[in-house]
Amino acid sequence: MTTSSSPGAIAAIRPIEAAAPAPVGERGRKLRRVVVYVLLIGYALLMLVPFAWQIITSFKTEPDAARLTIIPDPFTLAGWERGFGSLHPGIPQLFFNSMVIAIAVTITNLILGSMMGYAFARLRFPLRTVLFLLVLATLMIPDQLRLVPVYLIVRAIGLITDSPLNYLGVILIMAIQAQMVFLFRQFFLTIPRDLEEAAKIDGAGHFTTFARVMLPLAGPAIAAVAILSFQGTWNSFFWPLLILQSPDHWTLPLALFSFKFEFRTDWPALMSVTVAAIVPILLIYIFFQRYFVQGVAASGVKG
Amino acid sequence: MTASRFVAGRGVKGERRPELIAGIALISVPMLLFLVLNIGAIFYAAYISLWRWGLRGPRAFLGTSNYEAALSDPIFIKAVTNTFYYVIIWVPLTMALGLFLAIIVNQKLRGQTFFRATFYFPALASSAAITVVWIFLLQPSGLFNEVRQIFGLNPLFRALGFADDQNWIATSNTAMNSIIALNAWTTSGTIMLFYLTFLQTISKEIYEAAAIDGAGAWQAFRSITFPLLRPAHFFVATLLFIGGFQLFDQALIAGGKGGEPNNALTTIVLFIYRSAISDSEFGFAAAVGMILLVLIFTVTLIQRRVFGDAPTW
Repeated sequence: MTTSSSPGAIAAIRPIEAAAPAPVGERGRKLRRVVVYVLLIGYALLMLVPFAWQIITSFKTEPDAARLTIIPDPFTLAGWERGFGSLHPGIPQLFFNSMVIAIAVTITNLILGSMMGYAFARLRFPLRTVLFLLVLATLMIPDQLRLVPVYLIVRAIGLITDSPLNYLGVILIMAIQAQMVFLFRQFFLTIPRDLEEAAKIDGAGHFTTFARVMLPLAGPAIAAVAILSFQGTWNSFFWPLLILQSPDHWTLPLALFSFKFEFRTDWPALMSVTVAAIVPILLIYIFFQRYFVQGVAASGVKG
Repeated sequence: MTASRFVAGRGVKGERRPELIAGIALISVPMLLFLVLNIGAIFYAAYISLWRWGLRGPRAFLGTSNYEAALSDPIFIKAVTNTFYYVIIWVPLTMALGLFLAIIVNQKLRGQTFFRATFYFPALASSAAITVVWIFLLQPSGLFNEVRQIFGLNPLFRALGFADDQNWIATSNTAMNSIIALNAWTTSGTIMLFYLTFLQTISKEIYEAAAIDGAGAWQAFRSITFPLLRPAHFFVATLLFIGGFQLFDQALIAGGKGGEPNNALTTIVLFIYRSAISDSEFGFAAAVGMILLVLIFTVTLIQRRVFGDAPTW
């Protein structure tokens, strides 16, 4: 996509229908409005009800969980106690593991992605186009195709282990994603060249220009990459499942997966853990919604 | 003489050199990672696929035996069938839902931002959490069965052959459809965002002209919006096809390593995972991976035929 990601791009989308009133009467238009709102609210309910139901259920007793009641009767925290109490390792450790991996992967994607994105956007060196296309091509390769070779490589360098080095295996695999390089490159392309010319006249080298002039201007791209990497890594299931050996290093989704098979029908306990897995991302989404939408729209890839 | 040549040399080469060094330095680390873990990995997989390759025991060169073994394995065929079934239904369904949402949300509305944010939200939740919630909703005494009873839809479902207490995810013939519904539900919001970005590029003058010509809303959609969104269709379809062939998380969480019930949820990737991790048959698993690569490549080519060349984005 060549369209630049100006802040609030989505919010600024102009309504098409309003600009092109179909030849219907006032009454027809009113009717259409009603239909549109019914559809919107209906679909919104479809989106929200499962989450609401999940939260409600987590406060129910087991027999009550099978009933279609909105208010838990009796209201109990027993499900949360069972859920949090029987997870191995405990919730604090799982949060810690998820955080360590998500934060590390976010940082590496910010650093490596901005470096590479800047080089591809601005600097001339041999094979630049070929290398950029090669990086883009990796978007087309499903992660799982790399399962066997990547597992064997990570194993060969000793990162499949019960020690905390195990985290590094996951971090290394996810350290740089083509989507993030692409996002940074597209952003740097939109920055006017005059600023770099001015820096050059002041005698700044390429590294200084990158670090002192370009990066400070890249706020929106940094925000989008940070949020997309954090969310993507926090939720990631495949690579952690493959690489993380000891349950002590598991992330939340992995614990939830094994928990699901242990606690087959203890729905209140299961729901309490799913709430814990979703809430951090929900909070980030509420505060940084704009950047999510921008990032997705600009990168054209699901985070 | 030497001095002036030196100066002239600086003028041409000396200016370029720092740029070249900076460029190479900046891309070196990420490029190395891409070359080893992505591009190199594919070649490594192609090599491994020609061997009997386990964690222990001697390796032996097998030539194409792993490929032959895979193609004659009924469970692999089942995995391919399941994956194609999923892709063929899920891709158009999700595209239609996403486009529909984009068109609806693209109007002047109260609470527009709220609706967009809500529709996109399920895409953000962790696949593990959302799948567990989905299993809960679709279990015999779950919300879905209860709600259809309240709305008096049970006779209809009975006519279609579903029990009143249907266990949707644990029954062979409904397990995959349940996963399709789950992923259409979570992904439609993302697709909506893509379509919205493309809708932005259509100028409103076209609609004004169409309205003067007496075109109705449906007609305007059919003969203006839909065809003009062709680049969007191509883009979204490519993404969804590639994503669809990778179906794994939801299948594993709902059906376990065995793709229960009855391999109904065994996808190609789940099959690769099982062969590599449970059975330590890396050569065989790598061969299945290469077959998947060929499948994806073929589908992308066919799709290019259908939608025309890739748009420039």
